[in-house]
Amino acid sequence: MWTIEAEGLRKSYPKKIPLPFRKVEWVEAVKGVSFKVKKGELFGLLGPNGAGKTTTIKMLTTLLEPSGGTARVLGLDIRRDAREIRRKINLVAEGERTLYWRLSAYENLKYFARIYYVPKREERERIETLLKLVGLWERRNDLVMNFSRGMKQRLAIAKALINDPEVLFLDEPTLGLDVQSAIFVREFVKRLVKEEGKTVLLTTHYMAEAEELCDRIAIIDHGRIIAMDTPEGLKRLVKDEETVEIRVRELKSQSLGESPFSMAVIEDDTSTGTVRLRAQVDEEDLPRLVEWLVKRGAKVLSVEKMEPTLEDVFIKLTGRGLRD
Amino acid sequence: MILAVVEKEFRMFFRYPLRVISSIFVGIVFLLQFVYFGQAVLGGRYSTLLEASTGMGDYPTYALIGYVLWWVSVSPMEAYVWGVRRELQRGTFETNVLSPARLIGLLFGLSLSWLLMDSTLMVIVFVMGVIIFKIPITAIIVLKSLPAIAASLLAFLGFGFVFAGLVMLLKNIGPFAQIFEFAMLFLSGVFFPLTVMPAPIQALSNLLPLTHSARIVRALFAGEGYFAVGDSVAWLLLLIPAYWAIGYLLFRWAERTTRVIGYGGY
Repeated sequence: MWTIEAEGLRKSYPKKIPLPFRKVEWVEAVKGVSFKVKKGELFGLLGPNGAGKTTTIKMLTTLLEPSGGTARVLGLDIRRDAREIRRKINLVAEGERTLYWRLSAYENLKYFARIYYVPKREERERIETLLKLVGLWERRNDLVMNFSRGMKQRLAIAKALINDPEVLFLDEPTLGLDVQSAIFVREFVKRLVKEEGKTVLLTTHYMAEAEELCDRIAIIDHGRIIAMDTPEGLKRLVKDEETVEIRVRELKSQSLGESPFSMAVIEDDTSTGTVRLRAQVDEEDLPRLVEWLVKRGAKVLSVEKMEPTLEDVFIKLTGRGLRD
Repeated sequence: MILAVVEKEFRMFFRYPLRVISSIFVGIVFLLQFVYFGQAVLGGRYSTLLEASTGMGDYPTYALIGYVLWWVSVSPMEAYVWGVRRELQRGTFETNVLSPARLIGLLFGLSLSWLLMDSTLMVIVFVMGVIIFKIPITAIIVLKSLPAIAASLLAFLGFGFVFAGLVMLLKNIGPFAQIFEFAMLFLSGVFFPLTVMPAPIQALSNLLPLTHSARIVRALFAGEGYFAVGDSVAWLLLLIPAYWAIGYLLFRWAERTTRVIGYGGY
């Protein structure tokens, strides 16, 4: 049995609140997403902002009513069995405002333990274990408002484990975190899967994160899954092509739209005017690509052959980068 | 679970001591200005005109009863509106919805918390009003009034679900709720007798539980019993289930619609 099964899941949002007697236009955010996740798997939804990742996660966690398709979590239907699903899952939502800032770390977990019906006799021990696990036991009586962004995220993870969920959903868990906090979160998630046997569905737009953490990845764009495999399997999609990284200066990025090559901006450093591009070209086409850039006024600083990454897969599949 | 919500809200409320002080201050100032304004218009504390139309001639007592009852009646609506809105603003509403606890229970907990806090503040304002205006009051009258006060509260506790649903759906409905609350203040004879209003407005005021609970309590203060205002008692008994039914049905509609568009932030 699959832990998560989504079949043709669709979601449309109204442009205005659908009040009675009001004609409303709808925008389709998720356009028939299908995938399956097995028990103990760390599955990633990778895609740019607005691709439909959060909407998909909100449907699977029963926070949003799907417009079409079906999905089951732990064998339970997301439409019919919402309350039963909520007992067995939890979510680390995007953003830092999912906790009560005017309560202490301990008070926050105590409140969530109560609304998750954690038995009273287990409550204290579970809160202590979780706070120790995320390294916040010494700060348990401090108000959350005095915590750093990284500490708040660690507490949000502890909160998401309060009901000992079988499935954990993580929506952009390292977004906006400093390097150290992001490393902590990634290591913690790995341990949850390996040592605790949790099933994790994670959304991210960081390729390195998806590659490092996920057993399998679905690349999602414009509400559709465009590829799904292990990180290695996905990278095989671009193995026959050369991946090059080109550093240029004085390039007008809008001119990339006319490019006949699969190419995307990786980094645009406005302070130095330097742009890093990644492109998939074979050896014979490389001089033509450089010539094309020079003709558009770019000064080519360096060209380097690279190992393919998930970004290259995305560029190959969509013709643009994840950050575009 | 409801107690957990109450405990959480109390903790956060009392971490803002200034808010407690400001709530009491606003409550008493609002009352004082109406009582003094009324006395200025009536030419003194006692009015035979008022007694002829309402059975109660002492204006401060008349106004204090109406005011306290109005406060009690609007506080569930305020509690739902601001309770949900605060959760939306904090960004914690969705986290609560995600839990296996029933949403209606969580909202009831929120409302109950603010209701308790409001009632405590209201008691303080009431006692201050009694002292300032030397209101003739006995424990028996207060005890006899409690069922009428509770009935009004109960009706609006159910009706408040409408506002909880609307806040979830439309997010910013504070101004709409205030229009309703002040319309109620105007239409229920809180600070002046309804007999001065046109007949259609008087008929409309019958649909507000506050009109009847105020009439009952004033009758009790004037030394009469519940039987003397039997028609208002009957109205109250009719309005309580009606308000609950309307509140619940509209809430369910709002909840379903919100699940389509998302609970979102503020």
